[in-house]
Amino acid sequence: MSLTNLFDLKNKVAIVTGGGNGIGKASALILAQAGAAVAVSDLKLSDAEEVAEEIKKGGGKAIAVECNVTDDDHLVNLVERTVKELGGVHILINNAGGGGGGRESPFKIDVKRFAWVFELNLFSAWRLSQLCAPHMKDGGYGSIVNITSMGSINKSPNMSAYAGSKAALNHMSANLAYDYGPFGIRVNCVGPGATKTAALASVLTPEIEEKMLAGTPIKRLGEVEDISGAVLYFAAPISEWVSGQVLFVNGGGVQTLD
Amino acid sequence: MKKTELLNDLFSFENKVIIITGGAGAIGSALAELLGNLGANVVITDINQERVNKVASEIQKATGKETLGLVADSTDENQMKELVDKVVAKFGKISGLVNNVGWGAATPIWGSDTEKMVNSYKLNTLSAYNLTKFCMPYLEKEENASVIFSNSRVGNTPSPEFIEYSTAKAALLNMAKSMAVISGPKVRFNTVIIGSVDNGESTLDAGFTMEMLQKINDSIVMKRRGFPADIAHGIMFLMSKAASWVTGVDLTLDGGGRYESKMPKKED
Repeated sequence: MSLTNLFDLKNKVAIVTGGGNGIGKASALILAQAGAAVAVSDLKLSDAEEVAEEIKKGGGKAIAVECNVTDDDHLVNLVERTVKELGGVHILINNAGGGGGGRESPFKIDVKRFAWVFELNLFSAWRLSQLCAPHMKDGGYGSIVNITSMGSINKSPNMSAYAGSKAALNHMSANLAYDYGPFGIRVNCVGPGATKTAALASVLTPEIEEKMLAGTPIKRLGEVEDISGAVLYFAAPISEWVSGQVLFVNGGGVQTLD
Repeated sequence: MKKTELLNDLFSFENKVIIITGGAGAIGSALAELLGNLGANVVITDINQERVNKVASEIQKATGKETLGLVADSTDENQMKELVDKVVAKFGKISGLVNNVGWGAATPIWGSDTEKMVNSYKLNTLSAYNLTKFCMPYLEKEENASVIFSNSRVGNTPSPEFIEYSTAKAALLNMAKSMAVISGPKVRFNTVIIGSVDNGESTLDAGFTMEMLQKINDSIVMKRRGFPADIAHGIMFLMSKAASWVTGVDLTLDGGGRYESKMPKKED
């Protein structure tokens, strides 16, 4: 493989869920900069449209798709539209997720809420992988990158639903790597530490930030570009022999809201 | 920033001086060539003068970047000190270090002894400790400085066939993480856990037969052993600006690992 091809995603099509903001947006932009056509999906269509527009303005190819990843019809539609309008799927970034801010006591958490967190963080990634894998197999290139969380290995109070779903995502990814590997499809996870997104800003105070930095060898919080760099690494041919891995991008430390 | 500019910026090694121990071997030389092509001045070390000169001049020719080959025995503390002095005298700085030296032969678990165990620790663990320590004053002055430790699947899985090598590598894995938590934000420390790679001669020297290697190829999820370039690519990413918030991790480069299940697989 020549040097210039290591990150070359020309003629590749990527789906990024939750692509309208934060880590998803940064991932969509860097994949487009490497040459991929990107289906930017988001719960909020206008956010996805803005990112798709930015990609197109830079000379790239993109579509915006409204998608609630807990709705199976939406997932089917996302993959169908991507294949129809962009010509295939080679890269899937399962970035949409959430439910970590609820902090429900395990004594009180509602069964439906618990199941919803798993639908959002785990089932959606599994189902989209299932929908995309045949296209990846046919297209001769496949890389699935699941955005997990430090919550998948941390122990924090009242986080059993979110942490459990993200830990399950890690191990599901490792198992899917085994199943899909022989078909040339790789499955890896990126685990961000506390990253400066709108979601974090809503709960971050100067005191919490100071405590977070005390536990972080590289003395700053993450930028979305720190995470999208790792996403690009796993998405691109440079990592063609790497699968089943979880890479934590966290400044070497642990940042919690406690 | 324009497309290519952004990617070039993230993965540029212009004005970097990188030391790669064992740099004349298969993985080391693949990495040296990659980093040279991305703009770095690379210093490779080896215990064999002729080999290190040959590989250094080949890399310099291929990359157009001044490349230094130095003879140094990684198990000799004084030689590691001298190595650092020579690199600084030549290039004025050290921006990154790849502790790539390491080797271990298969040994029956009860067939080792104190001398063999200690020698393995000296070659695989202490060598990296000493050189990293001597490089630190220079690394601390550089932007996005980082140290990479080459490790092996034997370092984090039970490996009774490689008791000397595996215990030394396990120590190296922990050492890298300890360095990471205390040395941020100035220097990053990361490990690559390397799966079965076609290293040419040294793989066969370690006791593998061609039949064993074919079996390994078949058992790997991605259906092949690694090329040296696969490992070089992972190391380059961890040293790059794209990974500037990554420290204390170990990234496994092993083709997805090996099937562990003995159950027959249902075909789709």
